[in-house]
Amino acid sequence: MVDMSSAESLLSQDTQINGTVGNCYSNDAKMSMRDVNVYYDQKQAINNVSLDLARHQVTALIGPSGCGKSTFLRCLNRMNDTIPICRVEGGLTLDGSDIYDKNMDPVLLRARVGMVFQKPNPFPKSIYENVAYGPKIHGLSSNKAELDEIVITSLRKAGLFEEVKDRLDAPGTSLSGGQQQRLCIARTIAVSPEVILMDEPASALDPIATAVIEELIDELKEKYTIAIVTHSMQQAARISQTTAYFHMGQLVEMGETSQIFTNPAHKLTENYITGRFG
Amino acid sequence: MENDLHLSQHISKRFNQELEEVRNQVLKMGGLVEQQVSDGLVALLDADMDLAQQVVDQDKLVNSMEIEIDEVCTEILARRQPAASDLRLMISIIKTITDLERIGDEAEKLGRNAIVLANSDGGSREYIELRHLGESVKEMLKRSLNAYARMDVEEAISVIQSDKNINQEYDDLSRLLVIKMMEDPRQIKSALRISWCARALERIGDHTKNLCEYIVYLVKGKDVRHINFDEIKQQIDI
Amino acid sequence: MNNMTNNSLNETHLKNSTSDKVMYSETYSVTEKVSASLKRRHRKESRFKAAGLLSVLLGFCLVFILISDITYKALPAFHQHWVKLEISFDPSWLSLKDSGESSLLSANYRKVIKHSLYASFPDVKGRKDKRKLFKLLSSNAEFTLRDKLIADVDLIGTKQPVWIRLDDDVDSYLKDEPEIGAAGARVDSQQAGWIHTLQIQNRIEKRFNIAFFTHGDSREPELAGVKGAFTGTLLTMLVTLLLSFPLGVSAALYLEEFAPKNRWTDIIEVNINNLAAVPSIIFGLLGLAVIINIFGLPRSAPLVGGIVLSLMTLPTIIIASRASIKAVPPSIREAALGIGASKMQTAFGHVLPMAMPGILTGAIIGMAQALGETAPLLMIGMVAFIVDVPTTVTDAATVLPVQIFLWADSPERAFLAKTSAAILVLLSFLLVMNISAAILRKKFEK
Repeated sequence: MVDMSSAESLLSQDTQINGTVGNCYSNDAKMSMRDVNVYYDQKQAINNVSLDLARHQVTALIGPSGCGKSTFLRCLNRMNDTIPICRVEGGLTLDGSDIYDKNMDPVLLRARVGMVFQKPNPFPKSIYENVAYGPKIHGLSSNKAELDEIVITSLRKAGLFEEVKDRLDAPGTSLSGGQQQRLCIARTIAVSPEVILMDEPASALDPIATAVIEELIDELKEKYTIAIVTHSMQQAARISQTTAYFHMGQLVEMGETSQIFTNPAHKLTENYITGRFG
Repeated sequence: MENDLHLSQHISKRFNQELEEVRNQVLKMGGLVEQQVSDGLVALLDADMDLAQQVVDQDKLVNSMEIEIDEVCTEILARRQPAASDLRLMISIIKTITDLERIGDEAEKLGRNAIVLANSDGGSREYIELRHLGESVKEMLKRSLNAYARMDVEEAISVIQSDKNINQEYDDLSRLLVIKMMEDPRQIKSALRISWCARALERIGDHTKNLCEYIVYLVKGKDVRHINFDEIKQQIDI
Repeated sequence: MNNMTNNSLNETHLKNSTSDKVMYSETYSVTEKVSASLKRRHRKESRFKAAGLLSVLLGFCLVFILISDITYKALPAFHQHWVKLEISFDPSWLSLKDSGESSLLSANYRKVIKHSLYASFPDVKGRKDKRKLFKLLSSNAEFTLRDKLIADVDLIGTKQPVWIRLDDDVDSYLKDEPEIGAAGARVDSQQAGWIHTLQIQNRIEKRFNIAFFTHGDSREPELAGVKGAFTGTLLTMLVTLLLSFPLGVSAALYLEEFAPKNRWTDIIEVNINNLAAVPSIIFGLLGLAVIINIFGLPRSAPLVGGIVLSLMTLPTIIIASRASIKAVPPSIREAALGIGASKMQTAFGHVLPMAMPGILTGAIIGMAQALGETAPLLMIGMVAFIVDVPTTVTDAATVLPVQIFLWADSPERAFLAKTSAAILVLLSFLLVMNISAAILRKKFEK
């Protein structure tokens, strides 16, 4: 038996994070982040993180609570702008253009980089209205028929259409948790984003609903670039092609998912995914 | 070197115990098989029929241990969904016990041949060679089990390397036996028996090499099967 | 050595067994203790429940007593007694020159009434008695005749039975027949006799008092109505609502959703909270000093009243709206922002509708406060005696609570019932306001 203190002393030898282990760059990057630092007031939440989101791939961000993975994800579509004390430094680009540039309107950015949240959060409106809201505010459709088309296509892509086609007027909140989350995904893809960010999209769902969402994510990667934060290592292993492990605001290791889950290079990654002290 | 795997550092103490248990069982099975090989060799060389029969009987025990460890591994896989080193440990254990069981089978062959050979007398030359081969294989098996117990990659690699010598010795012995058979066709029957035994020992050497490859996979996460020695060294940069 | 280990073994064994006993007795005593305290806890709970029920019942009783008392007192105000007189529209008595409108307006109706009245009581002689007799009728009687005649000019020269209001003193006498000459009774025995005669002749009738709802204020209780005050209240509330609701909601929305959180917004927040606690009469003084004196808006006008009451209601609405906006789950904002809605679209499209039920509750509380407010209105002259029913927000007007105050202050006995009736009207107004807010809230909660 190893008691905690000796385990800690054991760990401390290996817990030095000297830059990122593994390959965090991609030849075909949709989004590139270089030396990103994020501060909440004086407190640094993200420390010199550089990584690429490869086009048409699912990149999983894993790590213990408070490691900064959600914070990092929210930088990618400037959701952190809503937090006044939050400051983001570094080069973040989407298809080569700086997303924190003065000329980059966060509204446009968020239309291109959509987000799905941890808790299913449909608007308290009808299913149809939920999906139609995005296209409406962005003026993506010129008439009702086009809007209908967008709504139906999005619901279909999200694998929800068959389940709700008879009750598009029912409130979105009347759906089950898994359906609500798929509705949120449909709402996100209705504005035809290029990147979809998902912040623990299945953490509130049962295994069946989770499996459906995971299957959906796997299909969506054909058209979109996806970054997903998850607490379930199995989920990251199942759906992602690339996995990035965050620890204390730093990117410890990034690499092919199969490699990370069979033979992680960094001790901290190993400890985290095998459930050891750390 | 065991620190590399930190088998006892899981947050779940129960998981630690399970892994420790299954590992101990594998070591126990390894010890059993080692004993079996050693006894088989002794029975063969000393024409000890009782011991030979014992070796044959022991194979059942080894087989049942394989099944038992397999079950434990399946349960751990299902319940713990191990990842990284834990996953590699499980995979290597499952493969290791298969090879151990095969070694047991080869030892059983030694035993059966020993029973037959006890009634005939062969030349002392090939027995000396056989004893030499057997000792080498025994030593190799012992070293590999030690390497397994200590997760010693360097030792494992040197064991892999030593398999070449075994093969060389086997080739020499085979040549000797062929010459003997050509010289005196009456000896063909017993020479073939000895050849089979040598073959069994050579196979034990191969399985032992496999065990060491699993150790390298377990500790370093690198698959070093079916590649030559220089590539192995390159892969794990020792 | 061996002995020692044996000893220590024994000791540990002993220790173990005793600690086992302790453990056992502890678990045993825990159950005991819990079950012992359980009774006490249950008793406490039932006592609290009983006390709660009692206080609810008490409150309900008090409200019931209040409402029933007011209703009982108000009942007489909804009825009036009328008398039927045979009126001969004699042109000479009327001193009519022609049948034109102007001459009809200035005709001498009093004489016609007097003649008709004296004709009914031929035995009444003497000026004093005649005056007493005439006093039975409401001072408004001649206008009743005038209206009737203007409506139908052909009545000139004919004799018609006409129903005329009785004076409030007579009305009160008929309603509760106090003893003649008792303190406060304003009808003497002679008048009582005449009234009885009329009653016997079946010429007195009890009618529903429509005038109470259709007339403005009057010095004569039998003519006084709440329409003026009611309209004044309606206009004032309208101004208050139109000013304070959009202002309050936008202020709350700005402070919650847009304003940076810093020392300035903190100061503003503290000040808004303080403003809610400022005595209302201060707002009246402010209205008088700034709105009337500096901006020169008309006195006694619902516009000014509404502005003053808005000032008073604003903090309530802002505080309630902010709380309600704060309670909107952030996930909704994130959802809207996440698909690229602007801050404005998020605030108005999602946050506001979800906060609306709470905002409406706050607004209704604020409006209810404003509805019952008198003090600030006294300062801006809405306490004046105004007979005309206001039609615009700049007309002089008064409001229901002030009307209640004025009537409660009046000496005439009949005003007592009027006061209670006006209170009922005020309460109904409040009820209607609350119900409509509840309906709106239901709609938003869907």
